[in-house]
Amino acid sequence: MREVEGVVLSNCAVAAGIYEMRLLVPDASDVRPGQFLNLSSGEGELLLRRPLGIARHSEDCVTVCYQVKGRGTKALSCRVPGDRLSMLMPLGNGFYVKDSERRIALVGGGVGVFPLLSVAEAYRDREVSAYLGFRNRAAICYEEEFRAVSRLTIGTDDGSVGEKKNAVELFLADYEREKPDVILSCGPPVMLRALKRAIAERGIQAPCYVSLEERMGCGIGACLVCVCDLTNGEHARVCKDGPIFEIGEVEL
Amino acid sequence: MADLTTKICGVTLKNPVIGASGTVGFGREYDEIYDISLLGGISTKGLTLEPRRGNPVPRIAEGTSVILNAVGLQNPGVEKFIANDLPWLKTKGLAVVANVAGRTVEEYRDICERLDGLVDIIELNISCPNVKSGGMAFGIRPESIAAVTRAAKSGLRRTPLMVKLSPNVESIPVNARAAEGAGADCISLVNTFTGMAIDIERRRPIIANNTGGVSGAGIKPIAVRMVYEAAHAVGIPVVGMGGIQTAEDAIEFLMAGAVAVQVGTANFTDACAMPKIIAGLNEWCDAHGVKAVSELVGTLRMN
Ligand SMILES: Cc1cc2nc3c(=O)[nH]c(=O)nc-3n(C[C@H](O)[C@H](O)[C@H](O)COP(=O)(O)OP(=O)(O)OC[C@H]3O[C@@H](n4cnc5c(N)ncnc54)[C@H](O)[C@@H]3O)c2cc1C
Ligand SMILES: Cc1cc2nc3c(=O)[nH]c(=O)nc-3n(C[C@H](O)[C@H](O)[C@H](O)COP(=O)(O)O)c2cc1C
Ligand code: FES
Repeated sequence: MREVEGVVLSNCAVAAGIYEMRLLVPDASDVRPGQFLNLSSGEGELLLRRPLGIARHSEDCVTVCYQVKGRGTKALSCRVPGDRLSMLMPLGNGFYVKDSERRIALVGGGVGVFPLLSVAEAYRDREVSAYLGFRNRAAICYEEEFRAVSRLTIGTDDGSVGEKKNAVELFLADYEREKPDVILSCGPPVMLRALKRAIAERGIQAPCYVSLEERMGCGIGACLVCVCDLTNGEHARVCKDGPIFEIGEVEL
Repeated sequence: MADLTTKICGVTLKNPVIGASGTVGFGREYDEIYDISLLGGISTKGLTLEPRRGNPVPRIAEGTSVILNAVGLQNPGVEKFIANDLPWLKTKGLAVVANVAGRTVEEYRDICERLDGLVDIIELNISCPNVKSGGMAFGIRPESIAAVTRAAKSGLRRTPLMVKLSPNVESIPVNARAAEGAGADCISLVNTFTGMAIDIERRRPIIANNTGGVSGAGIKPIAVRMVYEAAHAVGIPVVGMGGIQTAEDAIEFLMAGAVAVQVGTANFTDACAMPKIIAGLNEWCDAHGVKAVSELVGTLRMN
């Protein structure tokens, strides 16, 4: 992890309320899928950076996608090419897929789909199935990018595209046929809880890793602001020990 | 190259910049970003005799130019710190300030006794607003400040005692003198201001603990005033903090009477804030013909 300054290359709306920002950075070659960065909003009066998953990366460029929610993401949406934004990157443990895990299932909801794109692009040599849930047609993004590197199933809450199912329901409907070796998931807490329940009820044996979100201070493990509870009673720091945890290991 | 060294009750720091308690852990994470041995010192996360779990999440919220936190003294306990972190920190060649807290006066004495001679300075956290028992309860009234300072001092033979004052009080000069009178070797201030931020959609405080400690750039003018008041009330050295982001901010505190400064929230805004402040101090001194940063201390002239 390092403190760097990035230069905004582009910053465009890619779906309703969702922006994609590409940043030129000194070096992004060591980024792992599922890692994140802690990005300044560029607004001096906002002292906290925003943690955002790295959706794609190349040697010297990182792409983040963010939903405009509050002041920080609103400020980010106003940044224009050429603006400089400081950040810490790459942060967190990232997803690890074993060599023996040939079939990967990605289960993503809402803004949780972005970090999963980095997995699909990193493991092109595997059989990747992506199950993505969006609110409605307007919220869908990265469809082509996912299709290029995975077998994609999309669902929407209102049935405007695909089945009227959430990501977990799409995944479960396909599970017997696909029998993935590993399940990787990112999305809102309700979705992760539903996934945990379903895995227990169905007796699914494949390991499952989930990416958690928590409010952050430092982003590097020093301030203990971002803790989550582990099932063994211990605390873990989402920013440093996570954001990826084995689903049975964390309280959701 | 100006001389940046500073002395706090017998301890020499290579520069006056100390990482503020709770924002830099035990230094390991920031050392992955830059070599922390370039810092004057670091103050550890608040240590207690036994491990503490801290508060539920969310533990942080943001306002305009400020943040609020309620971590609540989560720490591994003083024994684990001594076994796992202190030996490593000692190799870094910076001043190790152990920030400590207790539930009772006796606990304050015991933890000071345990750390005596092992660290460079002990910083008494009598002003943490985020824990229900102890912490701030000791930091408000001059009588209890004196009592806890005396108890801590009774556990110390070798290590100097720094008492960290709360800003959530009636009179900084009265409390600073209470600490001095009870044997404090130096004083640090300010800890955080108790505040609240509300999620108006849910009609609930954002922070799980309801209230949190306010820190960051927005508190600086109040902190500077309080440091000025403390420095003029006591004869012992004062370490100033509250909202420092730049070398110029740090110089305000030095001129107000602080011999050194601590930097907290700014580390979250820029992980390299402290190295930049140190470099900036050097540049400012050179540009202003100041040979030693210690020449700036207490040079404020009032209108
Ligand atoms: C590891 C990680 C990866 C993430 N990846 C993405 C992503 O790829 N795309 C995306 O749209 N969002 C992502 N998020 C969520 C994103 O960080 C928040 O939506 C964002 O910080 C909200 O900022 P704001 O200024 O709009 O909201 P405000 O409510 O104004 O923010 C106030 C404070 O709360 C924090 N905060 C608010 N909501 C969240 C949240 N859900 N998680 C963490 N901190 C929060 C902010 O960072 C800020 O410090 C991720 C979160 C984490 C922890
Ligand atoms: C996340 C966080 C945790 C803190 N934990 C402690 C602590 O354990 N003990 C303590 O004395 N002060 C603690 N503080 C207070 C800081 O050390 C400092 O007094 C305060 O933040 C003001 O300085 P700043 O504006 O530079 O942050 C904490 C502050 C923050 C932001
Ligand atoms: S944000 Fe500081 S420890 Fe995770």
